[in-house]
Amino acid sequence: MSDELVRLLDGNTFVVSDSRGDIEASLTDPTGLFSFDCRYLSKWVLTVNGERLNPLSVDDLQYFEARFFLVPGTGTVYVDAKLSVIRQRAVGGGLHEELTILNHDGQPLALTVKLEAGSDFADLFEVKDALKKKGRYHASVKDGQLLLGYEREALHRLTAISASAPAHVDEHGLTFTVQVEPHGRWTTDIDVVVAAGPGGRQVRPKYARGEKRAQPNMGRSLERWLAEAPRLDCDWEPLHAIYRRSLIDLAALRFSPPIAGGASLPAAGLPWFMTIFGRDSILTSLQTLPFTPELAATTLRMLGDWQGSRVDDFRDEDPGRILHELRYGEMTAFEERPHSPYYGCADATPLFVVLLDEYERWTGDRRLVREFEQEARAALAWIDRYGDLMGNGYISYRRRNEQTGLENQCWKDSWDSISYRDGRLPGFPRATCELQGYAYDAKMRGARLAREVCKDPAFAAELEHQATELKRRFNRDFWVQDGQYFALALDADGKQVDSLTSNNGHLLWSGIVEKSKAKAVVRHLLGPRLFSGWGVRTLAEGEARYNPIGYHVGTVWPFDCSFIAWGLRRYGFKAEAATIAAGILDAAELFHGRLPEAFGGYERGVTKYPVQYPTACSPQAWSTGAPLLLLRTMLGLEPLDGHLIVDPALPDSIGTLALFDIPGRWGHTDAYARGRPELRKGARGRRDGSVRQPVRRAPAAGRRSAAARRSAS
Amino acid sequence: MPSRQPTRPNATTEFFRELQTHGHEPSLVKVSGTLRFDIVDDAAAPSHWLVSLKKGEIAVSRKNARADCVVRSDRATFDGVASGRLNAFAALLREALSAQGDVGLLVLFQRLFPPPARSEP
Repeated sequence: MSDELVRLLDGNTFVVSDSRGDIEASLTDPTGLFSFDCRYLSKWVLTVNGERLNPLSVDDLQYFEARFFLVPGTGTVYVDAKLSVIRQRAVGGGLHEELTILNHDGQPLALTVKLEAGSDFADLFEVKDALKKKGRYHASVKDGQLLLGYEREALHRLTAISASAPAHVDEHGLTFTVQVEPHGRWTTDIDVVVAAGPGGRQVRPKYARGEKRAQPNMGRSLERWLAEAPRLDCDWEPLHAIYRRSLIDLAALRFSPPIAGGASLPAAGLPWFMTIFGRDSILTSLQTLPFTPELAATTLRMLGDWQGSRVDDFRDEDPGRILHELRYGEMTAFEERPHSPYYGCADATPLFVVLLDEYERWTGDRRLVREFEQEARAALAWIDRYGDLMGNGYISYRRRNEQTGLENQCWKDSWDSISYRDGRLPGFPRATCELQGYAYDAKMRGARLAREVCKDPAFAAELEHQATELKRRFNRDFWVQDGQYFALALDADGKQVDSLTSNNGHLLWSGIVEKSKAKAVVRHLLGPRLFSGWGVRTLAEGEARYNPIGYHVGTVWPFDCSFIAWGLRRYGFKAEAATIAAGILDAAELFHGRLPEAFGGYERGVTKYPVQYPTACSPQAWSTGAPLLLLRTMLGLEPLDGHLIVDPALPDSIGTLALFDIPGRWGHTDAYARGRPELRKGARGRRDGSVRQPVRRAPAAGRRSAAARRSAS
Repeated sequence: MPSRQPTRPNATTEFFRELQTHGHEPSLVKVSGTLRFDIVDDAAAPSHWLVSLKKGEIAVSRKNARADCVVRSDRATFDGVASGRLNAFAALLREALSAQGDVGLLVLFQRLFPPPARSEP
């Protein structure tokens, strides 16, 4: 049944069960009830008269609640049950379950209903790596509650299980002796409360007995979240479903760190990555700024507060460095893992400054910029002081924690992602190209903030000088002359790691590409070696390690493509940006509105459908954010002073596109776009997988002036 | 494993005494609030250190007064934190140290704890 796992989640409390609602986890099996990186239930099995149940259907009511319809007996050809069982479940501060048994017969039913419960209190990292526990377990019954506990030194974990109906409770679970009248029903509520701390400081369950309506733990309900987002109108119907899916998934991906005062930020992915990640939280915040700017604010606050302040080799921490990942589990607590927090990533620090600037441009919230001015200065200082490991003026990375640190500290973080054309892997340090782009952008944006918000023109001038110098050197040192693109990286000898990759698109986004080189880069991004028809491959066809289903060596990543589209817009390649948007949105339609983390790099004409890369993480935050950023690039939304510029360029599948009530420093405003109808007619309904050309004409302007765009030079 | 330099006895007292003369701390200019550290000795009553942060200025006293964040631990743990041997947040996660109230203040205050010894030069 493991192929039909049902996952419910509220922040970083989540439950993964089979389609019966049962949990039978082993140390390596990733089912259970988890909260703050600890598994509080590893066994949760329902039987009626000693028999397991058979699932008829599961309703995923919301991401945080579901209803399981069950009948007794398993493995039989057909079901002829006299009774059925409904298990309605919601997560939030633990688990709440409403168990109902319906008697369909004319005779009364005498039943023994049993819920077996147990917990291994595994750390999420132990589940991943199958490690043994070092503490002591205990189980007891107190006041009709089953208490399951775990202790290691001062660390305490407790699971408390209770029911509203009379039950016999022992150390292995709850047993109900039930009489159900003819055509009658029996019901009980069951609460599973998780707690940490001495004496088991208990968290009150979100959905205590009698509360009939589950609500997520976040500051806002899902309904309000959807109602407050900009409204979309489009003649290409699938975009409505894609947009709604993105907003709902984004709501599910919100994580409220304990010190954030109830505010939430985007976690990286569901369910295993529901925590603060530097890179993922920042990139998702950038994608979603025009829609839900408060996510960016919380991201900046949390990452700013957690900014590195000392040199700590175990955590790969430096002063000014922005964290990679923060965890709360036992292995982190006992420093068997460095995530308290872990700082080993090379891009989050410049990207922090990029987000701070982009956030201010959209929202006009200068107070937050002033509040984090010191952190922004420290991040900018990190780029040159600690990020430049080779002393050559470029950010590079090499972990100092060689046991449990990360080898690859860029977004392409798999072991073989950084290779030369011939497939060789470079040593460390590695200076990947997109890091230099981010550094350039951070300096330019830092300069703008220094001049306009912090009133420090001398610092602004210094940053601009550094940025100009970096851009000049970069265009010389990274340019692969015989290929006419930018190398993936410089190795420890300063030699080019010369394979052709999607990273070139990030360089356009950051603005580090000299205008004279942009056309050649764009030709590659939309050319046959990189562009699959759906999107841009991470590594170009023809490179030695190219593999259409290799994680970072040939697959297409929707988030990557959304930033590439943004980069194309920055350099004025509107039609090309629309081509990328069309490919990714067509893929989104075929994935029922939810884009996976990555999909196969196969030629679109060959497979007709995008081939999903097998992954345990779905939805993933920056894939969820991709359609939102593509909406921005298609509409050509750019804040300028107090206004929102609309400069649309639509793919030919879309005739009209409008976004209402876009929040920002202008209050709320609308954006309209119109494609060319005569081109569109032939395209309607065509879903044969062929590549469509976007509108090449200069598109009709939106309500606002289409003039200004941020200079790309 | 993290670095494991020895814990200095009296590290807690030394840490707070040095903090009294720390002067302006630029990394804390936006922080305003008070933290009280209750250090529990085996037999004796807990000893208190009250730290007040305001626009980068740090004031330290021995008052047992109300604070926005109350941090409590035994002396051995805090000696470890104060000598850079133990990480305060990891200690909080394993409940060797507790924090009540505005835990965000402790996250920021951590910037003042000494770094661990380098595991490589």
